[in-house]
Amino acid sequence: MLARIIRHEWQMLKADAVLWVIVAIVGSAIAYGVWNGTRWVHFQEGAIEAARSEERVRFDRLTAQLEKVAAGERVSPFADPRSPSNLGSRLAAKVAVLPPAPLGALTVGQSDLLPSYVRVSTESREAVLASTEVESPLRLLTGRFDLAFVVVYLVPLLVLALAYSMVSGEKEQGTLSMVLAQPVSLGTLVAAKVVVRAAALLVIIVGLGLGTLLMTGVSLADAATRERLLWWVASVAAYMGLWFAIALVGVSLGRGSAATATLLAGLWLLLVVIVPSALTLGVQQLYPVPSRVALVQATRVASDEANAQGARLLAAYYEDHPELATGDAEQAMTDFNVVRLAVNDDIEKRVRPVVAQFDEQLSSQQALVERFRVLSPALVVYEALSDLSGSGQQRHRHFVSQVSGFHDEWRRFFTQKVVAKTPVADLSSLPTFTYSEEPSSALRARMMATLATLLVPAVLLGGLAFIRLRRYAIAG
Amino acid sequence: MIGTIARKELTELSRDGRFRLLAAVILVLAVASTAAGWLQFTAVSRQHAEAQRETREQWLGQQEKNPHSAAHYGVYAFKPASHLSIVDTGLDPYLGVAVWLEAHRQSEMKFRPAQDRTAIQRFGELNGAEVLLVLVPLFILLVTFPVFAGEREQGTLRQLMSLGVAPRLLVAGKALGTLAAVALVIVPVSALAAVAMAWASADSYLAADVSRTVALGATCLVYFLVVTGVGLAVSAWAPSSRVALVTLLGFWFATSLVAPRIATDVAGSLHPTPNAAEFQRALDADLSDPEEARQRLARLQAETLTKYNVTSLDALPVAFSGLSLQSGEDHGNEVFDRHFGRLHDQFSNQARVYQWAGLASPLLAARSLSMALAGTDFEQHRHFAKAAEAYRRDIQRTLNDDIARNQRAGQPYLAGTELWSRVPDFTYDAPSIGWVLGRQATALTVLAGWLTLAGALALLATRRLSATLG
Repeated sequence: MLARIIRHEWQMLKADAVLWVIVAIVGSAIAYGVWNGTRWVHFQEGAIEAARSEERVRFDRLTAQLEKVAAGERVSPFADPRSPSNLGSRLAAKVAVLPPAPLGALTVGQSDLLPSYVRVSTESREAVLASTEVESPLRLLTGRFDLAFVVVYLVPLLVLALAYSMVSGEKEQGTLSMVLAQPVSLGTLVAAKVVVRAAALLVIIVGLGLGTLLMTGVSLADAATRERLLWWVASVAAYMGLWFAIALVGVSLGRGSAATATLLAGLWLLLVVIVPSALTLGVQQLYPVPSRVALVQATRVASDEANAQGARLLAAYYEDHPELATGDAEQAMTDFNVVRLAVNDDIEKRVRPVVAQFDEQLSSQQALVERFRVLSPALVVYEALSDLSGSGQQRHRHFVSQVSGFHDEWRRFFTQKVVAKTPVADLSSLPTFTYSEEPSSALRARMMATLATLLVPAVLLGGLAFIRLRRYAIAG
Repeated sequence: MIGTIARKELTELSRDGRFRLLAAVILVLAVASTAAGWLQFTAVSRQHAEAQRETREQWLGQQEKNPHSAAHYGVYAFKPASHLSIVDTGLDPYLGVAVWLEAHRQSEMKFRPAQDRTAIQRFGELNGAEVLLVLVPLFILLVTFPVFAGEREQGTLRQLMSLGVAPRLLVAGKALGTLAAVALVIVPVSALAAVAMAWASADSYLAADVSRTVALGATCLVYFLVVTGVGLAVSAWAPSSRVALVTLLGFWFATSLVAPRIATDVAGSLHPTPNAAEFQRALDADLSDPEEARQRLARLQAETLTKYNVTSLDALPVAFSGLSLQSGEDHGNEVFDRHFGRLHDQFSNQARVYQWAGLASPLLAARSLSMALAGTDFEQHRHFAKAAEAYRRDIQRTLNDDIARNQRAGQPYLAGTELWSRVPDFTYDAPSIGWVLGRQATALTVLAGWLTLAGALALLATRRLSATLG
């Protein structure tokens, strides 16, 4: 029976202009979104390549200078390519890159705001991480038209457009009572309608989405990429499922088509627009992150004080780092570079509590967002889509923690050489950075949580709707 | 007649539970966002004013040192928050707040507040302007869609038309009724926002801010009229209230969510900007070209010797180091003007495309105006950045002149508080409303065009109104 109704519904849907309007809208939106995302990935790759080529040119020049110096040429101490202090702070600074993930084109996410490459030197961690990409502020504010935008904003509207008059439309046309005069329950009829609509929409979105993605040249050779794509399809399907459940609840209330449409549009507005921005506002009020101006000033005050105490700090520095105090510590005391190390170390010690305040407030905000995310399915799915594209906060945090580790290693390497006054002769001995991707088990766990967050309310709401449908007033 | 129609609309709306709910939601959001904007503004203004005072104290409190060391020590300039940022934070979260003014280099403004926020901010910030320009119009559309279409379905349209009311009056009355409903929500909030602003800035609520506030209010009103006109036209034209609703929701979605994204994409493609690494490389290449530096110094040396009519640098009555430092600054300034000028021109051009895109979506024209009047658009950011850079150049010139005058060859030269205090404190005056509106001519014209179009459409649709279908 169900199969026959589904076939019939499909015939009806095919004949309805609405479906083809939706196909046209979704088709062009998806194509534009994927194309736009791909362009952004190309821009990122170009920027990374430019940063790397700058590094290459610098290192070539450095090698040439090292050869000249080895051949006996004299250089000013400020430009000496052997000096570990010069190399570590400027000349040999290395670019640490977060490459765009294979599915980067699907969601721009935070990748236009958070830098995908930084120049690591012996400067403070904050200075190293403070770099930003040149990007139009207007575009940052507006957000991008990527596939995630289509999924998060447009797909629920299409679900609602397909579903809102499923029952009331037939009732208004007068066909509902005739259909239900056959041996079929309203529940079965509605289930068939939902199955047809959901299947059609899912096929359109996934088919067109994957199709355009493959046309942009994404390789599926990698098993991890294929897994991410599967999660992507699952998340989109679950999100759609939840919206169908919401639409069903609206339908089951038994109002007229226009009233149902208004109600559902209001719910869409609430869940997709109002809750996310109200939550942003709320977390900022509860855990306000101070203006970075405070950090600027704290750093300034700390460096004034540290500089004023230069030599005394050095003694304290050796107390903290006895492993560095080699035989000629006496002479090192007078060394400008070593004093600078001590001063920088002291500045960072003083500034650390201020920096910690930023990190703390931000992670409190994040924790709160994670707790209240369930209030808006849009937030849940956006987070998941960014995660799958590697353009969310998760991957960036992973990158930052690796950069921090590399920065520590870089500093240790050069600090030892500065204190021991060992010149660097071989550039290939410098530490190098390679980003290592997060293990897929972590991603799997997050995706399971996402699906649960979307599917549990979907099942509950759907169940509620079907119970209510039993008491649906078919006539009158 | 207009009054009667308007009263009828308003009475009907106020009895509608959905209307009351929607109005309450908007009211709550408007109050919450204004309160948050106010808190944000007071916090930022306090922090920035304090930091500006501290950076000045640090500058004046420097020990005796060579002026060039002081130039490297530098000062910071912090962008003050504008009063109307309480209502529209605009681009502020995505633009830097502080700039270091030191020797040899123009720096970009650093620290975008957006980088210290969670990812969900990308769903949009809930501020007064967002409520006014995105949510209120949706409210208007939800109120207007059944105005004619609904009456037709109820059968009351036939009676109404049989009264022989002129279409002109009918449209005006219906529009007035809708706007009165909107006013019920907006007016208390606006009054609250005005009080908040006056309170937040008891000492400095300048005439300029009053005129900006009034202009912002007028912009919103015009935009509401446009939306009302479109809503009425569609309601009169649509065969059923369901079609009217879907069409208007589509209009809202396309103009409020899709158009801004496409507009910024188009703007970015028409006026592309380089990536940070490329920009830096090009800047550095022009800035520290050793051959250029050698030639420039040789030229400066020759010119100086001729000017003072001496044969060796030692015989000069001024210190050549001061002159060469300043010549380096002059060269740098030229390079900075070229590179930053080009980059910022691109951003300005993008903002202009955004104004033109108002032709496709009136929201873009309204938002462009709103950000500009709130002082949170790119042009005013640039205005501040320019003022800070001019101040940096003043500092460098003062210090380098001092070196030229007082440094003696072979002797260390230390300057003190007297020189530091000769550098004036940094003050910044925001541009006038005329300056702002002059740069928004396109948006103003486009919005006026939309007003005419929406009015004409509403009138036309009402003229051709029929009580029954088919």
